[in-house]
Amino acid sequence: MILSTIPIFLVDILGSIFMIIFSFLCLLLAHELRSRDQNNVMGTYLLWLCYGLTGFAISRSVGHILKQILFMSEQPRVWNVIRPYSGAINSLMFVLVGSVTLFFERIWIVYQQISKDKKALQFAHEELIFLNQTLEQRVAERTKELALSEHKYRRIFEVSKDMILVANKNGLIVDLNPVGRDILGCQNADVSLNGRSFQEFFANQAHWNQILHTIEARGSISNFEADLQPRDGMTIRSLISGSLDKGPLDEEDTIHFLVKDIGQKRLMEKQMAQAEKLASIGQLSAGIAHEINNPLGIILGYSQLLLKNEGNEKERQDDLRTIVKHARNCKLIVEDLLNFAREPEPKKSFIDIHGVIDEVLNFMQHHSDLEKTQIIREFDPSVPPIELDEKQIKQVFTNLIMNAQHAVGNNGTIKVTTKFNPADSELLINVIDTGCGIEKKNLSRIFDPFFTTKPTGKGTGLGLSVSYGVVKNHGGDILVESEPGRGSTFTVVLPVESEAV
Amino acid sequence: MQNKILISMIYLAAFCWSFFNPEQAWAAQSHGGIEGVYAHQFAHLFFIISMGSLIYWLRQRGLVQERGWKYIQYSALFFILWNIDTMTVHFLDDQFNIIQVEKIDAWQIQLNDIFNNNHIKILYYFATLDHLLCVPAIFFLYIGLKHLLKQPGGDAARDRR
Repeated sequence: MILSTIPIFLVDILGSIFMIIFSFLCLLLAHELRSRDQNNVMGTYLLWLCYGLTGFAISRSVGHILKQILFMSEQPRVWNVIRPYSGAINSLMFVLVGSVTLFFERIWIVYQQISKDKKALQFAHEELIFLNQTLEQRVAERTKELALSEHKYRRIFEVSKDMILVANKNGLIVDLNPVGRDILGCQNADVSLNGRSFQEFFANQAHWNQILHTIEARGSISNFEADLQPRDGMTIRSLISGSLDKGPLDEEDTIHFLVKDIGQKRLMEKQMAQAEKLASIGQLSAGIAHEINNPLGIILGYSQLLLKNEGNEKERQDDLRTIVKHARNCKLIVEDLLNFAREPEPKKSFIDIHGVIDEVLNFMQHHSDLEKTQIIREFDPSVPPIELDEKQIKQVFTNLIMNAQHAVGNNGTIKVTTKFNPADSELLINVIDTGCGIEKKNLSRIFDPFFTTKPTGKGTGLGLSVSYGVVKNHGGDILVESEPGRGSTFTVVLPVESEAV
Repeated sequence: MQNKILISMIYLAAFCWSFFNPEQAWAAQSHGGIEGVYAHQFAHLFFIISMGSLIYWLRQRGLVQERGWKYIQYSALFFILWNIDTMTVHFLDDQFNIIQVEKIDAWQIQLNDIFNNNHIKILYYFATLDHLLCVPAIFFLYIGLKHLLKQPGGDAARDRR
């Protein structure tokens, strides 16, 4: 069969040219693909595939073109020389492309496994970063909370009105809040607490031992009353609570003490007890006075009647006068008792307290030995008129000034001061003397009826009791401060009505 | 000791006999021209297997859903067809000399076959136009690579399985 070689020639030449062109184009694209992602194993495969195909295309196409040219130029022998090389290179390229493809499948599986592991690692890494970030955030939040908490508890520690003291198990002070420093007399920052023990502030060392023993045994102690002695001559009645704090890790165990100063409370309790006592005595006195008052009236009446009808016998008249005098004294005492106990409703009116005090002082100066005593007046001009029972208040100041006069004797000073406190709407009137003072043991009894330190016949012991009753009846109070040998200060506290202010 | 001397003597006699009386050794096999054809045919076969493996692999992993890999799959298919085509040509002329080609003039050839069958001659004639298969094969590879490059990030190796 005879056939044309033109189609074979054309397809061979053109096909070879196209093969070379497209193989190089493929190589360029594969190279670009590979360079875009160096780690992409698929790009590597395609690049090697293209290398193989390019090598194949060159060897085969060049061979075919040469073949056509050599055949046309009647030199088939030359082609027969080249042909085995072309065929061998083609075979090599087939093997290369086939090997790359077949081996690549294996590599691909390995690559997939590596990619999977890489993803897992990346995921784990992201998780770690997330956890790390969250951790940082959590740490920041926790730190903030801790700072707030520390601030809060530090504030409690700093502003507490009670003493908070941290000591180690031996009692050595580790920390002390400002109130504690104030109480223990270490308010200056210069005063070091290093090496000082809480024990040394106890008036009674047995109390400290008892506290320590209880804490060791039970881990805590509650409301233990003990006297603290921050310095000589000063005792603070305290209510002590404490608990053992087991130190974290290797930290030392500490004892946290909460110490309340209950001195004021105890004083108030005493005052209340005193008030109750006075009230009871008042009720008793009222009953007795009432019973005595009537017979006394009868005795006085009949005595006066007998005196009136008595003749000129002087001796009998003197006897009757003595009876009348003492009966009157008794009646006055009974009336005082009734005034103290019955607490008659005061007849109040707005008065100038300075005028009242002046009146009393003037009266006392003219009718007793007060002219020998130096009187000092320090009146606050801002004191407004106060609604008081003038008669009763005069009696109060008469009693107080008379007591002061007795205390100073012939040589001394009585100072009367007034001070208006608008913040508390109260007036403070001080009667200060430089007399003998009151002994500590008598301080709690001076308002008791019939209690007196004056010689018999010099006082009834009802003056301060009556004054106390009057002031209390006006809603006020009487306070006393005294130091034996240096004088006393009686302070009358009277409420000032807002209308007057 | 005597045994050792005896054994040494036997080895020496054998060496002298073989050295002074040489024969063809058959130590290495000589290769005629047909072995190169077979090697080439096996290379084609290997190429076919690798391309078949590539198609199977691309399809199994679902990569052919992407246009780029789909064209590369077509490329592999055309390469398989081309290999079959060229193997046929080698089978007919080089391997078994079924076809003999005689050049009549510059633009004509005469084909003879041992079976005197025109179908074989026509098959051979068209089979020699193998570039009609390998050019589309490399063209599809080119198109496929172009599409892979267009993918965002050049994510050519995304496994869809």
